[in-house]
Amino acid sequence: MPHATFSLRTLPPLLIVALVGLPVLAAIFAGLTAGDGATWDHILQNRLVPYTLTTLLVLLLSAIIMLGLAVPSAWLISQYDFPGRSIFSWAMILPLAMPGYVMAYAWADMMGVAGPIQSHIRDITGLSARDYWFPNLFSAPGLAFVLASTLFPYVYITARAAFSMQSLSTLEAARSLGAQPLELFWRVALPVALPTIAGGLCLALMEAAADYGAADFLGIQTLGVGIIRSWQSFGEPNTAARLALTLILIAGCFLIAARVFQGRRGTQETSVRWRTPTRSKLPPVMAAAVTALCSVILIVCFLAPIARLLWLALETSANAPDLWPLVRSTLMLGAMGAALAFVAALVFSLSSKRSETLRLATRLIAAAGYAAPGAVLGLGALFILRETGQALSGWVAIGFLVWIYVSRFTSAGVEPIQASLARLPKNLDLAAQSLGSTGLRQFARVDLPLIAPGAFAAALILFVEILKELPATLMLRPFGWDTLAVRAHAYATDERLAQATLPSLLIVLAGLAPVLLLSWRLGKSERS
Amino acid sequence: MSTRQPLIADQVTRSFAGRLAVNAISLELEPGKITSLIGQSGSGKTTLLRLFAGMERPDSGRILSGETVLSGARTHIPIETRNIGLVFQDFALFPHLSVRENVAFGLRHLQKSERGSCADMWIDKLGLAHRRDAFPHQLSGGEQQRTAIARALAPEPVAILLDEPFSGLDPAMRDQVREAALAAVREAGIPSLLVTHDANEALVHSDKIAIIDQGEVLQTGSPETVYNHPVSAKAASALGPLHTLSRSDVPPDWQQMINGADEYVHYRPEALQITGGSGFRVVRQKLAGAVSEIELDFGGSQTLFAMCQVGSSLQPGAEIGVSINPALFFDFASKSV
Repeated sequence: MPHATFSLRTLPPLLIVALVGLPVLAAIFAGLTAGDGATWDHILQNRLVPYTLTTLLVLLLSAIIMLGLAVPSAWLISQYDFPGRSIFSWAMILPLAMPGYVMAYAWADMMGVAGPIQSHIRDITGLSARDYWFPNLFSAPGLAFVLASTLFPYVYITARAAFSMQSLSTLEAARSLGAQPLELFWRVALPVALPTIAGGLCLALMEAAADYGAADFLGIQTLGVGIIRSWQSFGEPNTAARLALTLILIAGCFLIAARVFQGRRGTQETSVRWRTPTRSKLPPVMAAAVTALCSVILIVCFLAPIARLLWLALETSANAPDLWPLVRSTLMLGAMGAALAFVAALVFSLSSKRSETLRLATRLIAAAGYAAPGAVLGLGALFILRETGQALSGWVAIGFLVWIYVSRFTSAGVEPIQASLARLPKNLDLAAQSLGSTGLRQFARVDLPLIAPGAFAAALILFVEILKELPATLMLRPFGWDTLAVRAHAYATDERLAQATLPSLLIVLAGLAPVLLLSWRLGKSERS
Repeated sequence: MSTRQPLIADQVTRSFAGRLAVNAISLELEPGKITSLIGQSGSGKTTLLRLFAGMERPDSGRILSGETVLSGARTHIPIETRNIGLVFQDFALFPHLSVRENVAFGLRHLQKSERGSCADMWIDKLGLAHRRDAFPHQLSGGEQQRTAIARALAPEPVAILLDEPFSGLDPAMRDQVREAALAAVREAGIPSLLVTHDANEALVHSDKIAIIDQGEVLQTGSPETVYNHPVSAKAASALGPLHTLSRSDVPPDWQQMINGADEYVHYRPEALQITGGSGFRVVRQKLAGAVSEIELDFGGSQTLFAMCQVGSSLQPGAEIGVSINPALFFDFASKSV
């Protein structure tokens, strides 16, 4: 039914559009209508301008760091052979498994005055702590480093794809015209790959803008931190609403920019013959340097923080907190949220097959939820609660929290499902219908078995994303429903880092599952 | 270039994973002449081009420009410093650069002001003046092709290598583009190699043809020589259709005219011309452009093929006579095609 107007079949997707869109719209509405007169001046001067500037500074710095980490390594890995290349090829995305806040805890501990790095420096040099300068993680550049080191794989993946897809003959043509290896990168490969890389960078920056945990722990006044502080500590809901509006604007801009860049891909390419580049062997000294560079990136962004957390967890295992209640509430919230978001994502994906208008609406709304940081959606939920006169407790709170999960993560589930739907032959529907299978029957017998791998990936991603979610959970969870993320954050900000390590490690462990799935797929696509 | 040197492959061998792609090939590309390298896919023609260009290093043998060794046992001048122009089947234009920037890409040895005027000169020469500022994705196939040629010729290379440069083009425009492109190549006066699998292209447009098969050169010579005087059945069939007859089956009238003692004789179908008379029965006639391909029966058991112009269509079963051009009957030492 390509031209279905309003029927029972369009009802479920429309309901879900409303469900997913409402918290974002509530936050935007509150932001647009909040504050007047004297309070507005106060908000603008004391809150909005400084929080926004700090956020933009952090984003700018992390963009630079991410490009520096991701682009050269992606180029080297796609063009050259060196020891460990095939491992780095997929291992470079492992840092995605670390939520920003966990990375912040680990590096804060390692870089602290009593931490292993500074202790060694003092042991070796004989200086005392006041005699030397050491970078401070509790600063805007520190936060930028932490966010960049967990999010740079977004840029790495897109850069890898862009470099691998480049026509080999284009590079050979450049070489025949006298381009040296470095020139090849600057004058040909990078400019051609730039739109694709920019798309990945924008997505990573959107995620960075959504951070709350790392910024709060490091004491950096970003918009995400400001929203929750204004609501909870200052009792300024209007301020929170204005900050949320600004943050969603910033995140929305990045999402739109990412889509624009992704759309431009392809029109620029004229070459028809793709070949997997035959990687050239590097001379031994260069190869060693490149291996060292990739190792350092992997150690700094993944291995060292994990090792430090493990060490701390083992060292303090005697007085570890009782994790069982945390695990139980995390699993229950994750299961409820993932199940509902999965159904929503499935309905979205399937309904987009039916009507163009519906597809546009679902995509727009899902994207709005995706771009909206957890703090903004949490605020939207709080405004809805206030307007409806409900109290934030018990099952109402859990209902709202699950609702926010659905709103925030449905689009993360839509992408893998739609990717596997797109691979199905176009006339499959017609074939099934001609054999008398329609509607739900057709879905169960034809579509579902075929998209099962994509659906599994979607469910896994949803569950892990919810499990890592911090700001909305922090704002909405009822008493007794602390998750691993919430408790880890509470311990860490309480300067009880040792107790935060075990829940943090569990989060990373769960986060590794979808990342390993992704890296396995990347490896497969490289080999084929 | 004041001194134009030939580009020479001297006993060049290259294998991949134990398979010989190029086996002891020697070939000289003379300045100002277009040498076509013709062969089937996998015959080693692209590998030989890549060896000339410096994209591959030979296992043994040498690549020389005049007396200068480009690749040898101890030397290998990389592609970046070899200054050999390349034109690819997919054109390989830089998608982020305009036509002018593409053509100017290899002109870094010039002053900035000269760069632009030099690029413009080549753009004009190839008839791209109106597309100067266009980007590759805005160009037609033929325009992309000419941009690629201008880009390869602009740095005044010591040789130019073209890897199936016309096979990606729409057949309707191919002839026109090919004329303009090869005229510019010839005018440059440098050695040029045209890799192709199109026999007609090689015959019409080159000064010299090298036929390559399974990594070895079967025959080298002018188009006239290699077409009319093939050294083997394989070489002959690389350039056009070839048919085989057992010598004992040759119609008695022709026996005297066809020299040689081999058990088999080979002929090009145009060696047979239809005349009035009788002796041959028409089996079928297929129109192939201006000429017809005619399948004939002789004596109820022998099938012969003729390629010629016929005034009107021949009915199957009609009796006709056939005369022959003995020069297009070949006698090789080999047993069959």
